[in-house]
Amino acid sequence: MEIEQIENRYRGISIVLGALQAASRGICKNCIGLEGAKTKVGKMIKKLGMDLDAASISCEKTKADLQSRIDSLSKAAEELEVAEECECQKTAKNCKMGEGCFVNAAVDLMKLVK
Amino acid sequence: MAKARCGRILGEDIYIEEGDTTTLYFINQLRVYQVVLAALKALDQDICHDGCSLPSTVNKVIKRLGKLKSVLEASDVAAEKKKNLLSKIDDFLADADGLPQDTSQTCRKTAGECKIGSGCFATGALNLFKEITEPEAPKKI
Repeated sequence: MEIEQIENRYRGISIVLGALQAASRGICKNCIGLEGAKTKVGKMIKKLGMDLDAASISCEKTKADLQSRIDSLSKAAEELEVAEECECQKTAKNCKMGEGCFVNAAVDLMKLVK
Repeated sequence: MAKARCGRILGEDIYIEEGDTTTLYFINQLRVYQVVLAALKALDQDICHDGCSLPSTVNKVIKRLGKLKSVLEASDVAAEKKKNLLSKIDDFLADADGLPQDTSQTCRKTAGECKIGSGCFATGALNLFKEITEPEAPKKI
Protein backbone atom coordinates (compact mmCIF):
# COMPACT_ATOMS: atom_id res chain seq x y z
CA MET A 1 0.00 0.00 0.00
CA GLU A 2 2.80 2.41 0.93
CA ILE A 3 4.59 1.98 -2.36
CA GLU A 4 1.31 2.38 -4.25
CA GLN A 5 0.65 5.69 -2.54
CA ILE A 6 4.16 6.90 -3.26
CA GLU A 7 3.82 5.87 -6.92
CA ASN A 8 0.49 7.70 -7.18
CA ARG A 9 1.95 10.89 -5.75
CA TYR A 10 4.93 10.56 -8.06
CA ARG A 11 2.56 10.31 -11.04
CA GLY A 12 0.62 13.38 -9.91
CA ILE A 13 3.70 15.52 -9.33
CA SER A 14 5.08 14.58 -12.78
CA ILE A 15 1.93 15.91 -14.41
CA VAL A 16 1.80 19.04 -12.26
CA LEU A 17 5.41 19.75 -13.17
CA GLY A 18 4.69 19.34 -16.88
CA ALA A 19 1.94 21.94 -16.63
CA LEU A 20 4.06 24.29 -14.52
CA GLN A 21 6.94 24.07 -17.00
CA ALA A 22 4.56 25.25 -19.73
CA ALA A 23 3.24 28.02 -17.47
CA SER A 24 6.81 29.16 -16.83
CA ARG A 25 7.22 29.67 -20.57
CA GLY A 26 4.25 32.06 -20.46
CA ILE A 27 3.71 35.29 -18.55
CA CYS A 28 3.35 33.17 -15.39
CA LYS A 29 7.18 33.17 -15.30
CA ASN A 30 6.91 36.64 -13.72
CA CYS A 31 4.09 35.68 -11.38
CA ILE A 32 4.09 35.11 -7.64
CA GLY A 33 1.60 32.32 -8.33
CA LEU A 34 4.27 30.29 -10.07
CA GLU A 35 6.86 31.23 -7.46
CA GLY A 36 4.54 29.85 -4.76
CA ALA A 37 3.72 26.75 -6.79
CA LYS A 38 7.42 26.03 -7.24
CA THR A 39 7.89 26.13 -3.47
CA LYS A 40 4.83 23.94 -2.88
CA VAL A 41 5.89 21.32 -5.40
CA GLY A 42 9.43 21.36 -4.01
CA LYS A 43 7.99 20.57 -0.57
CA MET A 44 5.78 17.81 -2.00
CA ILE A 45 8.81 16.18 -3.59
CA LYS A 46 10.86 16.49 -0.43
CA LYS A 47 8.04 14.88 1.57
CA LEU A 48 7.74 12.14 -1.04
CA GLY A 49 11.45 11.37 -0.67
CA MET A 50 11.14 11.29 3.13
CA ASP A 51 8.11 8.99 2.95
CA LEU A 52 10.01 6.70 0.62
CA ASP A 53 12.92 6.62 3.06
CA ALA A 54 10.57 5.66 5.88
CA ALA A 55 8.63 3.12 3.83
CA SER A 56 9.07 -0.55 4.46
CA ILE A 57 9.96 -1.67 0.98
CA SER A 58 11.77 -4.96 1.02
CA CYS A 59 13.10 -4.80 -2.53
CA GLU A 60 16.13 -2.50 -2.53
CA LYS A 61 16.07 -2.18 -6.31
CA THR A 62 12.45 -0.95 -6.30
CA LYS A 63 13.30 1.58 -3.63
CA ALA A 64 16.41 2.79 -5.44
CA ASP A 65 14.50 3.10 -8.70
CA LEU A 66 11.80 5.21 -7.05
CA GLN A 67 14.41 7.34 -5.31
CA SER A 68 16.12 7.98 -8.62
CA ARG A 69 12.83 9.01 -10.23
CA ILE A 70 12.03 11.31 -7.29
CA ASP A 71 15.50 12.87 -7.66
CA SER A 72 14.67 13.62 -11.30
CA LEU A 73 11.45 15.31 -10.22
CA SER A 74 13.38 17.35 -7.69
CA LYS A 75 15.82 18.50 -10.37
CA ALA A 76 12.96 19.42 -12.73
CA ALA A 77 11.26 21.41 -9.97
CA GLU A 78 14.46 23.27 -9.15
CA GLU A 79 14.88 24.12 -12.82
CA LEU A 80 11.42 25.66 -13.12
CA GLU A 81 12.09 29.13 -14.46
CA VAL A 82 10.72 31.91 -12.30
CA ALA A 83 11.73 35.56 -12.63
CA GLU A 84 13.80 37.04 -9.82
CA GLU A 85 11.21 39.70 -9.14
CA CYS A 86 7.67 38.41 -9.36
CA GLU A 87 4.34 40.13 -9.15
CA CYS A 88 0.86 38.66 -9.60
CA GLN A 89 0.26 39.07 -13.31
CA LYS A 90 -3.38 39.92 -12.68
CA THR A 91 -2.29 42.82 -10.47
CA ALA A 92 0.21 43.80 -13.16
CA LYS A 93 -2.73 43.74 -15.59
CA ASN A 94 -1.02 41.29 -17.92
CA CYS A 95 -3.19 38.27 -17.02
CA LYS A 96 -6.77 39.00 -18.01
CA MET A 97 -8.49 35.64 -17.87
CA GLY A 98 -10.79 36.27 -14.92
CA GLU A 99 -10.52 34.90 -11.39
CA GLY A 100 -8.91 31.60 -12.35
CA CYS A 101 -5.24 30.73 -12.33
CA PHE A 102 -3.54 28.03 -14.41
CA VAL A 103 -0.78 27.55 -11.89
CA ASN A 104 -3.03 27.01 -8.88
CA ALA A 105 -5.28 24.73 -10.91
CA ALA A 106 -2.26 22.71 -12.04
CA VAL A 107 -1.10 22.23 -8.43
CA ASP A 108 -4.65 21.21 -7.53
CA LEU A 109 -4.34 18.23 -9.89
CA MET A 110 -2.62 16.59 -6.90
CA LYS A 111 -6.02 16.51 -5.19
CA LEU A 112 -7.00 13.78 -7.65
CA VAL A 113 -4.65 11.43 -5.83
CA LYS A 114 -6.62 9.91 -2.97
CA MET B 1 -3.89 53.37 -28.67
CA ALA B 2 -1.76 51.88 -25.87
CA LYS B 3 -0.63 48.30 -26.25
CA ALA B 4 -0.54 45.88 -23.37
CA ARG B 5 1.19 42.53 -23.00
CA CYS B 6 -1.35 39.83 -22.27
CA GLY B 7 0.44 36.59 -22.96
CA ARG B 8 3.60 34.79 -23.91
CA ILE B 9 2.85 31.94 -26.26
CA LEU B 10 5.44 29.60 -27.74
CA GLY B 11 8.20 31.96 -26.73
CA GLU B 12 6.64 35.13 -28.12
CA ASP B 13 5.26 38.02 -26.10
CA ILE B 14 1.82 38.91 -27.37
CA TYR B 15 0.48 42.46 -27.16
CA ILE B 16 -2.99 43.77 -27.82
CA GLU B 17 -4.53 47.20 -27.93
CA GLU B 18 -6.34 48.12 -24.73
CA GLY B 19 -9.97 47.03 -24.94
CA ASP B 20 -9.50 44.56 -27.80
CA THR B 21 -11.41 41.78 -26.09
CA THR B 22 -11.88 39.73 -29.24
CA THR B 23 -8.15 39.23 -29.71
CA LEU B 24 -7.73 38.77 -25.96
CA TYR B 25 -10.25 35.92 -26.07
CA PHE B 26 -8.12 34.00 -28.59
CA ILE B 27 -4.87 34.75 -26.74
CA ASN B 28 -6.30 33.45 -23.47
CA GLN B 29 -7.42 30.30 -25.24
CA LEU B 30 -3.91 29.77 -26.60
CA ARG B 31 -2.43 30.39 -23.16
CA VAL B 32 -4.44 27.53 -21.71
CA TYR B 33 -3.72 25.18 -24.64
CA GLN B 34 -0.02 25.69 -23.94
CA VAL B 35 -0.51 24.42 -20.38
CA VAL B 36 -3.04 21.67 -21.16
CA LEU B 37 -0.90 20.21 -23.94
CA ALA B 38 2.14 20.16 -21.65
CA ALA B 39 0.11 18.28 -19.04
CA LEU B 40 -1.07 15.82 -21.70
CA LYS B 41 2.51 15.29 -22.87
CA ALA B 42 3.46 14.46 -19.28
CA LEU B 43 0.54 12.01 -19.15
CA ASP B 44 1.79 10.40 -22.32
CA GLN B 45 4.94 9.44 -20.38
CA ASP B 46 2.75 7.84 -17.73
CA ILE B 47 0.62 4.67 -17.81
CA CYS B 48 -2.13 6.89 -19.26
CA HIS B 49 -0.30 6.35 -22.57
CA ASP B 50 -1.94 2.92 -22.74
CA GLY B 51 -5.36 3.98 -21.47
CA CYS B 52 -8.45 5.46 -23.10
CA SER B 53 -8.93 8.74 -21.20
CA LEU B 54 -5.78 10.36 -22.57
CA PRO B 55 -6.69 9.64 -26.22
CA SER B 56 -10.25 10.77 -25.57
CA THR B 57 -8.96 14.02 -24.08
CA VAL B 58 -6.50 14.50 -26.94
CA ASN B 59 -9.33 14.06 -29.45
CA LYS B 60 -11.40 16.66 -27.61
CA VAL B 61 -8.45 19.08 -27.61
CA ILE B 62 -7.91 18.57 -31.36
CA LYS B 63 -11.59 19.17 -32.01
CA ARG B 64 -11.61 22.32 -29.87
CA LEU B 65 -8.46 23.60 -31.55
CA GLY B 66 -10.03 23.04 -34.96
CA LYS B 67 -13.10 24.97 -33.89
CA LEU B 68 -10.99 27.76 -32.42
CA LYS B 69 -9.09 27.97 -35.70
CA SER B 70 -12.20 28.31 -37.84
CA VAL B 71 -13.72 30.88 -35.50
CA LEU B 72 -10.48 32.88 -35.50
CA GLU B 73 -10.37 32.72 -39.30
CA ALA B 74 -13.88 34.16 -39.46
CA SER B 75 -13.24 36.80 -36.80
CA ASP B 76 -12.43 40.47 -37.22
CA VAL B 77 -9.03 40.13 -35.53
CA ALA B 78 -6.45 42.27 -37.39
CA ALA B 79 -4.95 40.36 -40.34
CA GLU B 80 -1.33 40.24 -39.15
CA LYS B 81 -2.32 39.24 -35.63
CA LYS B 82 -4.73 36.65 -37.01
CA LYS B 83 -2.00 35.09 -39.16
CA ASN B 84 0.32 34.94 -36.16
CA LEU B 85 -2.28 33.33 -33.89
CA LEU B 86 -3.36 30.87 -36.60
CA SER B 87 0.22 29.66 -36.96
CA LYS B 88 0.35 29.04 -33.22
CA ILE B 89 -2.87 27.03 -33.42
CA ASP B 90 -1.26 24.97 -36.18
CA ASP B 91 1.77 24.36 -33.93
CA PHE B 92 -0.52 23.20 -31.12
CA LEU B 93 -2.46 20.98 -33.52
CA ALA B 94 0.81 19.38 -34.63
CA ASP B 95 1.74 18.84 -30.98
CA ALA B 96 -1.63 17.29 -30.18
CA ASP B 97 -1.44 15.12 -33.26
CA GLY B 98 1.67 13.48 -31.82
CA LEU B 99 -0.27 12.29 -28.77
CA PRO B 100 -2.29 9.04 -28.51
CA GLN B 101 -5.73 9.16 -30.15
CA ASP B 102 -6.80 5.51 -30.10
CA THR B 103 -9.72 5.33 -27.65
CA SER B 104 -10.15 1.57 -28.03
CA GLN B 105 -7.54 0.90 -25.34
CA THR B 106 -8.63 -0.16 -21.87
CA CYS B 107 -8.97 2.40 -19.08
CA ARG B 108 -6.00 1.92 -16.75
CA LYS B 109 -8.35 1.80 -13.75
CA THR B 110 -10.27 -1.07 -15.35
CA ALA B 111 -6.93 -2.71 -16.13
CA GLY B 112 -6.07 -2.47 -12.43
CA GLU B 113 -3.01 -0.27 -12.99
CA CYS B 114 -4.30 3.20 -12.10
CA LYS B 115 -5.04 3.32 -8.38
CA ILE B 116 -5.35 7.02 -7.62
CA GLY B 117 -9.03 6.80 -6.64
CA SER B 118 -11.99 7.96 -8.65
CA GLY B 119 -10.19 10.95 -10.20
CA CYS B 120 -8.55 11.04 -13.59
CA PHE B 121 -5.50 13.11 -14.52
CA ALA B 122 -6.53 13.44 -18.18
CA THR B 123 -9.95 14.80 -17.25
CA GLY B 124 -8.30 17.03 -14.66
CA ALA B 125 -5.98 18.46 -17.29
CA LEU B 126 -8.95 19.20 -19.54
CA ASN B 127 -10.64 21.03 -16.69
CA LEU B 128 -7.86 23.63 -16.81
CA PHE B 129 -9.92 25.24 -19.60
CA LYS B 130 -12.47 26.22 -16.96
CA GLU B 131 -9.95 28.60 -15.40
CA ILE B 132 -10.60 31.09 -18.19
CA THR B 133 -13.76 33.05 -17.55
CA GLU B 134 -12.94 36.37 -19.22
CA PRO B 135 -13.46 37.82 -21.70
CA GLU B 136 -16.58 36.11 -22.94
CA ALA B 137 -16.41 34.51 -26.36
CA PRO B 138 -17.09 37.04 -29.11
CA LYS B 139 -20.76 37.18 -30.06
CA LYS B 140 -20.18 35.51 -33.42
CA ILE B 141 -18.82 32.36 -31.79
